[in-house]
Parts: sequence; C-alpha cells; structure tokens
Amino acid sequence: MGNKQTVFTHEQLEEYQDCTFFTRKEIMRLFYRYQDLAPQLVPLDYTSCPDVKVPYELIGTMPELKDNPFRQRIAQVFSEDGDGHMTLDNFLDMFSVMSEMAPRDLKAYYAFKIYDFNNDDYICMWDLEQTVTKLTRGELSAEEVSLVCEKVLDEADGDHDGRLSLEDFQNMILRAPDFLSTFHIRI
Amino acid sequence: MLRAALPLLGLPLAGAAAAEEPTQEPGSPGEPLPGLVLFRWQWHEVEAPYLVALWILVASLAKIVFHLSRKVTSVVPESCLLILLGLVLGGIVLAVAKKAEYQLEPGTFFLFLLPPIVLDSGYFMPSRLLFDNLGAILTYAVVGTLWNAFTTGAALWGLQQAGLVAPRVQAGLLDFLLFGSLISAVDPVAVLAVFEEVHVNETLFIIVFGESLLNDAVTVVLYKVCNSFVAMGSANVRATDYLKGVAYLTAEMASLSAILAVTMCGLGCKKYVEANISHKSRTTVKYTMKTLASCAETVIFMLLGISAVDSSKWAWDSGLVLGTLFFILFFRALGVVLQTWVLNQFRLVPLDKIDQVVMSYGGLRGAVAFALVILLDKTKVPAKDYFVATTIVVVFFTVIVQGLTIKPLVKWLKVKRSEHHKPTLNQELHEHTFDHILAAVEDVVGHHGYHYWRDRWEQFDKKYLSQLLMRRSAYRIKDQIWDVYYRLNIRDAISFVDQGGHVLSATGLTLPSMPSRNSVAETSVTNLLRESGSGACLDLQVIDTVRSGRDREDAVMHHLLCGGLYKPRRRYKASCSRHFILDDAQERQDKEVFQQNMKRRLESFKSTKHNICFAKSKPRPRKAGCKKKNGVANTAATNGKSPGDLGFRDTAAVILTVESEEDEEESDSSETEKDDEGIIFVARATSEVLQEGKVSGSLEVCPSPRIIPPSPTCAEKELPWKSGQGDLVVYVSSETTKIVPVDMQMGWNQSISSLESLASPSCTQAPTVTRLPPRPLAAEEPQAPLELRPSFAFPPSLAKAGRSRSESSADLPRPQELQPLMQHEDQSHLSPGTASSHWCIQFNRGGRL
Repeated sequence: MGNKQTVFTHEQLEEYQDCTFFTRKEIMRLFYRYQDLAPQLVPLDYTSCPDVKVPYELIGTMPELKDNPFRQRIAQVFSEDGDGHMTLDNFLDMFSVMSEMAPRDLKAYYAFKIYDFNNDDYICMWDLEQTVTKLTRGELSAEEVSLVCEKVLDEADGDHDGRLSLEDFQNMILRAPDFLSTFHIRI
Repeated sequence: MLRAALPLLGLPLAGAAAAEEPTQEPGSPGEPLPGLVLFRWQWHEVEAPYLVALWILVASLAKIVFHLSRKVTSVVPESCLLILLGLVLGGIVLAVAKKAEYQLEPGTFFLFLLPPIVLDSGYFMPSRLLFDNLGAILTYAVVGTLWNAFTTGAALWGLQQAGLVAPRVQAGLLDFLLFGSLISAVDPVAVLAVFEEVHVNETLFIIVFGESLLNDAVTVVLYKVCNSFVAMGSANVRATDYLKGVAYLTAEMASLSAILAVTMCGLGCKKYVEANISHKSRTTVKYTMKTLASCAETVIFMLLGISAVDSSKWAWDSGLVLGTLFFILFFRALGVVLQTWVLNQFRLVPLDKIDQVVMSYGGLRGAVAFALVILLDKTKVPAKDYFVATTIVVVFFTVIVQGLTIKPLVKWLKVKRSEHHKPTLNQELHEHTFDHILAAVEDVVGHHGYHYWRDRWEQFDKKYLSQLLMRRSAYRIKDQIWDVYYRLNIRDAISFVDQGGHVLSATGLTLPSMPSRNSVAETSVTNLLRESGSGACLDLQVIDTVRSGRDREDAVMHHLLCGGLYKPRRRYKASCSRHFILDDAQERQDKEVFQQNMKRRLESFKSTKHNICFAKSKPRPRKAGCKKKNGVANTAATNGKSPGDLGFRDTAAVILTVESEEDEEESDSSETEKDDEGIIFVARATSEVLQEGKVSGSLEVCPSPRIIPPSPTCAEKELPWKSGQGDLVVYVSSETTKIVPVDMQMGWNQSISSLESLASPSCTQAPTVTRLPPRPLAAEEPQAPLELRPSFAFPPSLAKAGRSRSESSADLPRPQELQPLMQHEDQSHLSPGTASSHWCIQFNRGGRL
C-alpha cells in the first residue's frame, strides 16, 4: 500500500481507473510489469509523469515473443506514434482493450487496426497477404497466399470495393457471435 | 464392419451366453445315437459368435425399424426405444426360460462396450471448443461430481435416519456415500444419445458432454475409495483413513482413468491420423468408428433394458427410490446453479438461466452407474439389491422421462440451437490471428494464461510432434487456413457442377463463391454451405448429416479428377497390392483441385468468346464427324464443363469455315447473339439449345444451386468419364498445329508450357506469366495473341483483379475485360485477311485451356 502512493498520485490512479477497465490493483500490477520490462529506464516514481518509453527492441526481443509473428504489429498499433515504443499509457491501453470488460466494438476496432498493416483504414489485399504469410509462417507459396486472400476478401467484402472497411469487418464479426469471445485476456 | 465388431463383442457375451445355453435351446444336445451320426448339432462351437451376431442383428434391425418410422424417432429418443425393446426382449426370454438370462456384465461393459463409444466421441470431439471451455467442464466434472456424490449420499442417509426408508435397507452412512458416488455420475452414453437429437448450441453441448466424459474419472475413483471404506467396515475407519482416502483420491484423479485416457487418445490422435492417411482411409476410419460406437451404444441400451427384467436381483423400496430420484435432481440443479454462479464471475460469455436449466436437466444417468452397482459385493454391501433397483429406476427415469421431455423443454425455453456451418475462411483466419495476438500480449504482460499455453503447444507440436508423426507431404499441407480454403474450393467446384449451364452463361465467371454482382441475394460460399446444411456437426454419433455432403463431395471430386485435362499423365497403375497405396496421391489431388477449378473458370470465360463460331458451324457435317470423335467430351460439356480438348478442336475447325464463307451473316448474328451464345457452347451440342441457353442465362439472376441427386450412382451414370475414357489426349493434336502458322507456333508453345507449369504439382513457378497486370481494355488487333494472357492466366489474375478493383472500383471486372475482345472479334469478322491468322491462335489458345 505504501508503495502505491510513491508511484502514482491519487489523482493519477483515479484517472487511470477512469480511462481503463482496470481496478487500482490491476493497474499497479501492470505497472510493475511494465517497470520490469526495462528497470533501468522506467522510474519507480511516476508522480511527475515522466516521459518514458520502453523501446520496441526491448519488447521485441523478449524470449517468449521470439516466435510470435505479430509482435511488431501489436506494438506498433498500440504505441502512440506507430514506431513500437510504448509509454505506460500505451501499455495500459493495450491491456484495457484486451480485458474482458472492453466492449466488443472496441475490440473489433483494434483487431481491425492490427490487420491494417499500411494504416489506410482499409484491409486491402496487401494487408491480408501479410497476415496470411505471418500466420502460415511462410509455408505457402505466394500464389497460394493470394488465392486465400482473394477468397477472404470475397467472403467478407460487403460493398464489393475490393477491400474491407471497418464496417465490413464488424459485420463479419457480428455474423459469428462467438467470435470475439476469445479475444480477451484475464490480467 | 460388423464382422470386425464380432470378435470384439464375442468374448464378453460368450460368458453371459454360456450360462444359459442348455435350457434355452431345446433341441441342442442332439443325443448321439450309436452308429453312424448323420446330423450333429454342434451348437457349442458356434454358440458365442452366433449369439453375438444375433444380438447385433436384432439391434440393427431395431435401429432400421426405428429409422423407418421418422415420426416416432422425432419424438422419442432412440435410447428410450432401445431400452423399451430390451425390456420386451427380456420379458420374452424371461417368459420362455423362466429366468432372466442376459445381463449387462460390468466387465463386458467397461472393456468392450464403452471404449468404442468413448474413442469415437474423443475422435470427433471439436477440440478447440473443448479446450476453450475446459475450465467450466473440469469444474463441473470434478467439483460437481463430488458435490453430487456427497450430498446425495448424505441426504439419503438423513432420509434413513428420519425413518422414511424401510428398515430392511441395512445401510450406514458409508453405504449411502458409496451409492451416492456411483449414482452421481452423468453418463456419456446417455447424454450423447439424447443430446445429439436435441441440437442445443455448441457451448452447452460441449459443457454437458465434456462433463459427462471427464467425470467418469472422478466417479470411478470415488467409487473405489468408498468401496474400500465399506469393505473395511465403518467401525474400523479412522480419521487418518479419511485423510489417506483423500490423498488417494487426488492421486488417482491426477493419473488418468481409462475412459479419460481413451478420450484423450481419440482427441490427440485425430490430427496426426488424418494427416497421414489417404482420403479414402480417412473415410474408412470414420465410418468404422461410427459403426463400432453405434453398435456398442445400441447393445448397451438393449442390455440395460434386458437386465432390468431380472427381478431376482433387485428389491424395491419406495422411500429409497423416490428419495434418490428427488435428491439427484435437486442436488444436480443446486450444484449447477452454484457452480455456474462461481464460473460466471470468470466467463466472458456467461451461462444464462436457460443454459443452467438444460444443464441440470441434462444430467442423465446411464450404464456406467448400472455397471458399477452390479459390481458391488453383496456380502459387504447388504443393501445391494435395493441399490440395484434404485439405480435401474433412476437410469430409466433419466433416460426415458428426461430424454423424452428434454426436447420439448429445449424448444419451449427457446434454447439457442446450434447452427451448422463450416468456419468461414475469415473466421479461421481471424481466430488464428487473435490467438497469436493474445499470446503475444500475454507474453508481454508476463502472464501465463490460456493463450500462452496454446501458443507453446503449437510451437511444440510444430517443432517436434508433427515432424515426428506426420509424413513430410502431409506436414506441409496441414496448415489450417489452407485446409479451409481447400474445402471451400472443393465446394465451389461442386456447386459449379451442380449449376451446370447457369454458371457458364453470359456473365461467365460468377462462381457461387463470388458475391454475384447483379443479384442482391448473397451467394457467398458460406451462405451456400449453410443452406446445404452440412457443417461442423456436433452430433458425435450422427454421421448422416455430414455424410450427404461429404459423400457427394468425394464422388464429385473423384469425377472431377478423373475427367481432368491431365488425366493421361496422372493415370494410376491399377495395382492389386493390398499394402500399397499410392504415396502422394493426396498431395496431387490437393493441387489438382485448384488447377481444375481454375481451368474451369477459365474455360467458362473462354467459351463466351468462341461459341459464336461454334454455334454457327455446328450443323455442318464435318463438325458432326468431329463431334463423334470426341463424343465423350461433348457429354462432358452437357454436364456443364467444357473440357479443353473439345474447345480447341472445335474452334480449330470452325475458324476455317468462318474464313471461307458467310462473313456478313456471321458478324450479324454474332452481334445479336453475342451475349447468349456462351451458354450454348457449354450447354449442349444441338441447335435447339439456343433457347435453353437463353433461359439459363436469365436463370442466372437467381442462382439457386441444384441439389445433386442423393444417390451417387445416378451421378455416375451421367458423368461420362466413369465409362473409362482414359485416353483423351490433352496435348495439342496434330490437326491444330497444322492450322497454326509457323511463326505463331512459338507463342503457342510458350502458352502451352506456361499452362503446364501452371498445372503441374509445384505451382510456384506459374506466376511468371500470370503476374502480368490486367491489360488495358481496348487493345489493338496485332496484339491479339498477347491479349489473352491476363485472362489466360486466370487464377492468379483473380488476385490481381482484387487489386485492380480497388483502383478502378469496377464492379464487374471480368465481363468488362471480355467486352472488347468480343468487339474485336466482330471487327475481324468484317475484315478477314491478315487478322484471320491471329484469330486462329486466339481460339486455339482459348480452346487449349
């Protein structure tokens, strides 16, 4: 308890609680985890809102993440400036979205953003190809990948413009109700 | 398959049968007369298999009869009918032999009847669903069963203390706990039998069924512990023994019970088994399992009914029976509500009230309880007879009464039914992605959650297990997304065949998978799949729903492959070896499906172009002769497919005639009929099809796929390549090469080689040609041969089209591409001369495809 006061001011904690779906305790846990990522960079005192970022190199080189195809993309999406360096706020945001309390639309939005590799607010062919390639770990040939992508586009493309808008994506998710139920993490 | 089951079932039943045999068969002994024996009654030698066969015969007859009367089975679950049948049979035997003969022997049950069912259910278990709900299932299985056992036992004991149970029932607390432990287990067989007819939603089903599977471990262990306590006698049990018992319990629970082991075996081996064996063997394995399970289940229920008749074994006590019935229902409901309340704190999708009602009502008891109670030792448990009677009543009550009412209940409560649909490609893709994302996030937060373990497992599987257990080729293809895509594509091919002429009509390339642009009604693959009703069917026993689709699929696939362009090369040697199956047939098939599909799309595309001349010149005698030569191909065309060889030959001939005469007429008619004649070419080779073609063209607006007649033989008759025309030469016939001018033969050969590379098993090198961007629309004449390339390399240009669509936002890219070509043709009609040579090439190429 004594620890808590030294890290955040009361107002800060209140604010975090308002902005995320977490309780105070969970926020503290996440903070310590965040601090763990880069102990030499992150101060234990956040009362003065220091501008600290954990560089992507640190996150990306975590041994557990080594095999994960989406590590960079996740970091990019949730970091403010898209370079993968994460502040504490980004860090909390990320888990807030993943928590069970987050509404489905928010999750869908972020899932969409993760897919949207080139940040043009549409999932286009290229984005899908990236996804499929990552998912299959390069097992498929380029042609096979594009065949799959073509099919995926065809299936979900509601307005037939050859790319998936956010609405298309949400529609598709609505059609399968259990779909996003897996998209959460218990912190 | 029945034969396979015989030796299996033969052993155990023999024991049961041997005891009763002499009285049963009046004429059996056949007293040997002194002297020559003409007839001998060798009953003993055939007895066991004979009886087993008889059982199965009766069971399958019963099943057939049940299936014939749809009305009855739609109301009464099959398990009820089987139990009733068993009762009747048992009654007859009792009336004839004056004593009950057959019993459900615990040994038989646990060793021979239960494993097939459990293995089957494990094998067909939707594993993802199971593991997603593993927490809930384990809670219900372990905590729920313990709760049920202890509360039921204690309550019954209380009932006895209160004097509501007749004093004849000599049982202490331990006895009642023992009884509680055996009666509390939800039975997988009964649950399966009832729930598969109810079609509740997947989550509910998997929770109830998973619980019933997993709680067997708990039940059996609990039963053993209680049994040993009872054997010791309640006076000798000290507190330390209870402690020991608990320790034993946990230890036993950690190690797997046999039932659990078999389930997990089925669950685990599925992936590797399916990857390693060929398609046909896969089907065989599937059916074998289903048959075995079905047999075992039928026999179990029948024997249950029969054993109930044996009144010598049971003693009735109303207080005990009614009390037990009430308590198991009450405590099950209470337990479910309590546990669900706890679980809902942790679940993203909470289980609502209705689910809880169904779950508590779905707690069916079955043969496991019965077998366990029969196993009790009469000397140690004096109240055994009462327990047996109670168990029988409980089992019958749950299976018959609850089984009968659960369907109306589900309907009345409007429980979310399961929707059958295959996972769409999107779903598959996103599920995978989400898994990865979540695993990554869990890693970042340093929280080893569910996804973390899934991720680890997948890596482990990929690195070691798959490499160890799978063939190399299978390992390569096993990718799930690819798999789903593959399946969808097969669907496409099938519906393509189904629709016949429709698809090949003017708009050409609207495969059902592509949302048809001109009709509002969505015809996406997924919709089609949903309509056709075959899907991820959760009914572990019922194979029928899946089968219709799957069978058809197999049959059609087979035909497709047989009728393929490259058949002569692919022709398998007819081998009569029983141990050799062609090594990589599966792999080739995989590839071939795509090529076939692509080619077919291409052909339909092409056909819209050269049909003009084709239709014109059909009546000519020369043409007719040509037709007769490849009549096979023609009939194939009537089935909606235009094999390439037909295409090129015909067009080759046609071109000559076009050049020779009737230029103006041609161009006139071709202009007027431009749109419709595409159908003619593919539909039929007679002239009256003109009208039909038009009709089918209009039908295209509402492309409802015709359902293939269910009997595959029918289709086989229609499909010409069944008749063994294996020698259709695919390659360029000498005829055509003669027509093609020498300077054009280079390009011609190029196109062929590129095609072949496209169709050859390794399609990685294909894109060289196909990567060309879609050409600008209005092209000039001299480029005519080149023009065809984009459309020619159609499959990848699909992908390209996706991109180009985003640029130009053209709704209908392919028909638009088509348009200028047609105009171009008309022009060349009007000005025969230099253009005609190009013409040849163009057509030939088109036909070649």
